[in-house]
Amino acid sequence: MLVKDCMTRHPIMISPNIPVTEAEKIMSENRIRHLPVVGDGKRLRGLFTRQLLSLKPAEMSSLNVWEITRFLSNLKVEDLMLKAQDVVTITSDRTIERAAKILAERKIGCLPVVEDDNVVIGILSETDLLSAFQEMLGLPAEGVRVTMRMPDKSGEFNKLASVMMEHGWGVMGIGSFPSPRNPGFYDIVVKIPRVTIDEVTEALSQVPDQSISDIRECV
Amino acid sequence: MFDHQVIQKETPVLNIEDLAVAYKVRGGEIEAVQKVTFDIQRGESHGIVGESGCGKSTVAWAIVNFLGNNGYVKRGSIKFQGQDIVGKTGEELRRLRGDQIAMVYQDPMQALNPSMRIGDQMKEVLTVHRGLSDEEAEKRCIQMLDRVYMPDPENVIKRYPHQISGGQQQRVVIGMALLNNPALLIMDEPTTALDVTVEAAVLDLIAELRHEFDTAIMYITHNLGVVARVASRVGVMYAGEMVERASVEDIFKNPQHPYTQGLIRCVPKLGSEKSSSLLYPIRGRVPPPNNRPSGCIFSPRCDYVRERCRAEHPDLRLIPGTNTLARCHFSEEIDPSLWKPSQDIELPTITAATSEQEPILELEDLKKYYEVKGNSLRDILGFGEKRYVKAVEGATMSVLKGRTLGIVGESGCGKSTLVKTIIGLEKSSGGQARFLGFDITSDIANRDQGLIEELQMVFQNPDSTMNPSYTVGEQIARPMRRFKTVPQEQIRDEVIHLLQAMRLSEAYYDRLPRQLSGGEKQRVGIARALASHPDLVLCDEPVSALDVSVQAAILNLLLDVQHEFDTTLIFIAHDLSVVRFFSDSVAVMYLGQIMEIGPAEAIYQPPYHPYTEALLSAVPIPDPTAKQKRIRLEGTVPSAISPPPGCRFHTRCPRRHLLLDPEICKTIPPWRHVTDLHQIFCHHNLETLNSFDPVITTVDGS
Repeated sequence: MLVKDCMTRHPIMISPNIPVTEAEKIMSENRIRHLPVVGDGKRLRGLFTRQLLSLKPAEMSSLNVWEITRFLSNLKVEDLMLKAQDVVTITSDRTIERAAKILAERKIGCLPVVEDDNVVIGILSETDLLSAFQEMLGLPAEGVRVTMRMPDKSGEFNKLASVMMEHGWGVMGIGSFPSPRNPGFYDIVVKIPRVTIDEVTEALSQVPDQSISDIRECV
Repeated sequence: MFDHQVIQKETPVLNIEDLAVAYKVRGGEIEAVQKVTFDIQRGESHGIVGESGCGKSTVAWAIVNFLGNNGYVKRGSIKFQGQDIVGKTGEELRRLRGDQIAMVYQDPMQALNPSMRIGDQMKEVLTVHRGLSDEEAEKRCIQMLDRVYMPDPENVIKRYPHQISGGQQQRVVIGMALLNNPALLIMDEPTTALDVTVEAAVLDLIAELRHEFDTAIMYITHNLGVVARVASRVGVMYAGEMVERASVEDIFKNPQHPYTQGLIRCVPKLGSEKSSSLLYPIRGRVPPPNNRPSGCIFSPRCDYVRERCRAEHPDLRLIPGTNTLARCHFSEEIDPSLWKPSQDIELPTITAATSEQEPILELEDLKKYYEVKGNSLRDILGFGEKRYVKAVEGATMSVLKGRTLGIVGESGCGKSTLVKTIIGLEKSSGGQARFLGFDITSDIANRDQGLIEELQMVFQNPDSTMNPSYTVGEQIARPMRRFKTVPQEQIRDEVIHLLQAMRLSEAYYDRLPRQLSGGEKQRVGIARALASHPDLVLCDEPVSALDVSVQAAILNLLLDVQHEFDTTLIFIAHDLSVVRFFSDSVAVMYLGQIMEIGPAEAIYQPPYHPYTEALLSAVPIPDPTAKQKRIRLEGTVPSAISPPPGCRFHTRCPRRHLLLDPEICKTIPPWRHVTDLHQIFCHHNLETLNSFDPVITTVDGS
């Protein structure tokens, strides 16, 4: 999975010289939180987010009600936006885990995806990553979801795979995590379609050195 | 099917609400489009269908603000990517159009600059909008051309637009539109000017690119078959209003609006035969925008019209029990399966295939070569080797009296030349041609007037074959005077009789061609061809320029005329479903050569020539559930100056590998006789030809 496979192509974008009130309207009407600000040729000029709308009370307290209105109506997107040099971007051929790491480390909500000379071709937000995560574990389809705990050694996954191959089972979602609070172990989550819990329990409990730590039928 | 719940949450790329577009004209303004509402989701292909003059293109122009000086958006909103674009300034719109909306027009030659090389035109998009370097831009352009399956892209970018074929030009335009990765692609009849085989390839391409680039497509067309192939949802427009919106499956399976039902009944289906199926034209015609009826705009043409329809304008509403939006008061009560043609629709009487008839026209090995002048000195002095365009090669066929022969093939295959040679506009270069026993190999200047009288022609474009300053009456009367078939004093009566036979009233006698609609002009063209009571009428694509409902009426009229006057027809068309519906026998031509000839029913099922098979698999079928084999011909039709030796089709033949010795294709193939009448010009033996699966299978098994 690369960024280009899970980003939102053709995101809604705005130009820098529109009023902030207009940008707010676009965000709330379309229920989105991030708006790339682009100039000619879809070149990234900045990023406008919900957070930027929370103006500091201190700035406003000295203004009376008329001045507030005037202040707000004159405020342009380019006055408030995060400037292009401060925006973290990504290219479409990076992996999604790398993108997730950037989002988590910097505590930001989205990455504009650019190519050539800062031309915006899409946007990758937390939501996009979360839906990729669901699909990775096979969410939309029904099946048996089993978590196998196995030692962190090479050849362990092969044991599991060969049992599944024997039974001719398919895999609709798979994930591997270092086992929480169990150093030296890995938890492999596998979702298998068109089987029953009993069948799976019976077959997988035979796998040497491994244990079923969780099994359930779900969509 | 799309899960609407999921999709609705996203913001549509394009959202048009209650749009009305008006043009300011002398003495007021005309609302060309009103009450149009639809949306296009990201990566969706939305079809807009309707007859000409229904406002399809006006909607597209309103989106990109190409309405001209006198046009403007009067009401409603056009939201692109969540932002209203009505009332935006020129600068903002320019940026939006250049960066996020692209448009592909019907005629690719008009979208390309004829004086610039293709590479330079394409690169401009990248160098201007993206600031890429020249080399980088060129690399991208070659990639993109490769992406749209352009053969040999490295060389194509060095050529000028006139040096590539129409299908390739359209690929260049589509590629160019996608270079800047637009969010919305508006396609206005992009395949109408192309051959069926090329059209099929372009439609495949569009479907594929939509998934890859996630581009939303607004696809405007009048062809229901094309919509069935490319669109996921369809909006039907009538007289400037959107009358029905539904998914493509629902539109064809369960149309709710009487207009949509009527449109579907007008289209000839590939499965039906001449004697068992009828086309039902919609009576009347689209009202002009300044004279729309009050109440339901379709009410004057509707078979279910009631008092309420004339008084009250219906809203676009969700029809209970369906997912379809329709603008009709009574959709729930209408059951299209119970529909009976109303009294005032003229349906043709079909001549059933009678016993053996005399052949009226016999061709044997007829040839038509055009000499090509070379430029070298030897050529100019006349010593050079003579080269010929072999436009028609060895045409052998016979046409029975009172029957119809259809001729099909891609453009440039010699259909029109064959007809012109028969009628005498071109002198034949060899072979025999006899009409009623008389030799007709010479050109028209040497023919007896009696012979000319018996052979008449209906042309494709009625506009360019009628003298604009002569009245309809004079146009039709002229052949009568010329051939003296009717005494001078009866000419007027005879013309009026013919007009009535064409369902035109006496009032048309004094009208000028510009006062007629396209369908009416074609009726006058047919009346003129019939004025001298000919025995054989040659029709060169008489309905291709017409709307489906008009086309149905003209086809019915021709069938009726044939019945009444016992005329023999030769009917050229590129639309295989029209030919099927219309003809008793069919000849398939490729590069001047007849590949297959036989009774119409036999041509459309195995055994068939591989070329016929490829043509059939390219026809857009107005039924999204029909399964069609996918056979696409590689490359373009080879030059007729040096056609491939032996079987002319062998360079593109998809079935060539089935032969044990592919080299045999370079020798002249034998005629395989399936029956006495059905012959195939192919190296494959009948057993192999018989083993091909049928190209089209519909759900009900026909």
